[in-house]
Amino acid sequence: MDQKYDWELTDRLHTEHGRGDPFAAAVRATRMPMVVTDPEQDDNPIVFVNEAFQLMTGYSREECIGRNCRFLQGPETDPKTILKIRKAVGNGEDVSTDILNYRKDGTSFWNALYLSPVRGGNGKILFFFASQLDVTQRIDAQQKVVDQKEQVEHEVKVRTADLEASVEAQALLLHEVDHRVKNNLSVIGSLLRMQIRDADDPNVRKALRSTMERVDAMAAVHRRLYQSDDVRYFEISSYAANIVQDAISASRYKDVFLHSNVQTVRLPSELATSFGLLLNEILLHLFDPYTPIKSVSLRSSIDKENIRVVISNEVVEKTPQDAISALSLKLISRLSRQLGATVDWDHSLNGLTATLTIPMSPL
Amino acid sequence: MKRPTAPLLILIVEDEPLIAMDMEMMVEDAGHNVVAEATSLYDVQGLGVDLRPDIAFVDIQLAENTSGLDVSKLIQQRWPDTVIVFVTANPKIIPEDFGGAHGVIPKPLSHNGFIAAMKYLEQGVCGPPPTLQQPNSFTASPAVAATWHD
Repeated sequence: MDQKYDWELTDRLHTEHGRGDPFAAAVRATRMPMVVTDPEQDDNPIVFVNEAFQLMTGYSREECIGRNCRFLQGPETDPKTILKIRKAVGNGEDVSTDILNYRKDGTSFWNALYLSPVRGGNGKILFFFASQLDVTQRIDAQQKVVDQKEQVEHEVKVRTADLEASVEAQALLLHEVDHRVKNNLSVIGSLLRMQIRDADDPNVRKALRSTMERVDAMAAVHRRLYQSDDVRYFEISSYAANIVQDAISASRYKDVFLHSNVQTVRLPSELATSFGLLLNEILLHLFDPYTPIKSVSLRSSIDKENIRVVISNEVVEKTPQDAISALSLKLISRLSRQLGATVDWDHSLNGLTATLTIPMSPL
Repeated sequence: MKRPTAPLLILIVEDEPLIAMDMEMMVEDAGHNVVAEATSLYDVQGLGVDLRPDIAFVDIQLAENTSGLDVSKLIQQRWPDTVIVFVTANPKIIPEDFGGAHGVIPKPLSHNGFIAAMKYLEQGVCGPPPTLQQPNSFTASPAVAATWHD
């Protein structure tokens, strides 16, 4: 026999010669399945398998020797992996890959294959040495992770769709409620206006008109709040500018000039109605129907400490101003307290100035 | 073209009876005449062709599940010179080009806001462009905005 196969004798003779070759003994006894093939023979057949390989595959040594390793492949084995191994063998290179192999009983297992050429002194390939490892558990675990990820993603998708549907339902509900609130405010305003027309007593009319304007102020706040993109905040400067402009448009004095110099100032929306009502009380006084107004000035500003809104009127001639009604004063006082605000009035020769100061709440 | 003169003829299309009544009174306070009131598209279809309102105030959500947007189309066919103003709690539903209508007054109506809009519209109808500043309570359609205030 060729000297190349001397090592094999130890196997055939079992342990007798093996004792003298610790490497051969180790290969036989290791729990790692191992195979040696001979590329010099036709179709690169197996020339050696160890015990562990026989245990793993269920094939006996006799069933393996002389066959090409491809008998371990089966219907589900990936052709790309087979090609990769064939290429490495053809080029005389190392290869390591996971391949689906089949046992004698037909069951499959994932085989972590490491295959490398064994070269002689002249560089010629004498053998291919392959070690195997059943890694079915690892591959299954990986697959499980992939499956779980897919399942979680699916569940997330389902939940997201549920949430989106719920958000849409909420938006629809909010829209419906908003619509009803607006309509109810419209009807309340309408009822008050009818009552005003129906009243004979000028004092009753005046009182009803004040009430109507308070309701209108609330309606305007609601209208603006739900027209804006962010219902959490209420922009007071454009609101004030609009309300003052409307008051001028509706007043009996034509050509009232509005000087306006405003900064964007936002309040949390839960304070919006109080602010709207407070501003309305101030305007009720500034736009007293018997005050001949020449011009109106509106300024708003915000700094680290305060929000400030200053409204003043310039009158054509100084006329005795009506005292602010007791109810109006009480409303101003209560609404100011809620906002932590102060309202200062300044009567000058040319007109009246109201300064509304709201301290910035500590965050 | 002969411009209308005050008192103007007003059509009110509104399904909420109290709001319609209030608008009628405000229109009359402003010195104009309400020629008809309607609560649905079908009501408007039943109106005489010779009515020729100068201004139509049209709510969007109307009785019998009809829409003010359709009323607007009908008015444009029947009375092409009528100025159409939507009066709605849901201005966001109005298409960008207003579907041929002229403007919108958002609800809830304020007394001051409606009176100011009425004065502005009167100028716009009788002698455009209006000299008054456009009130905040009224938003003109892009087409009207281009001719009324620039």
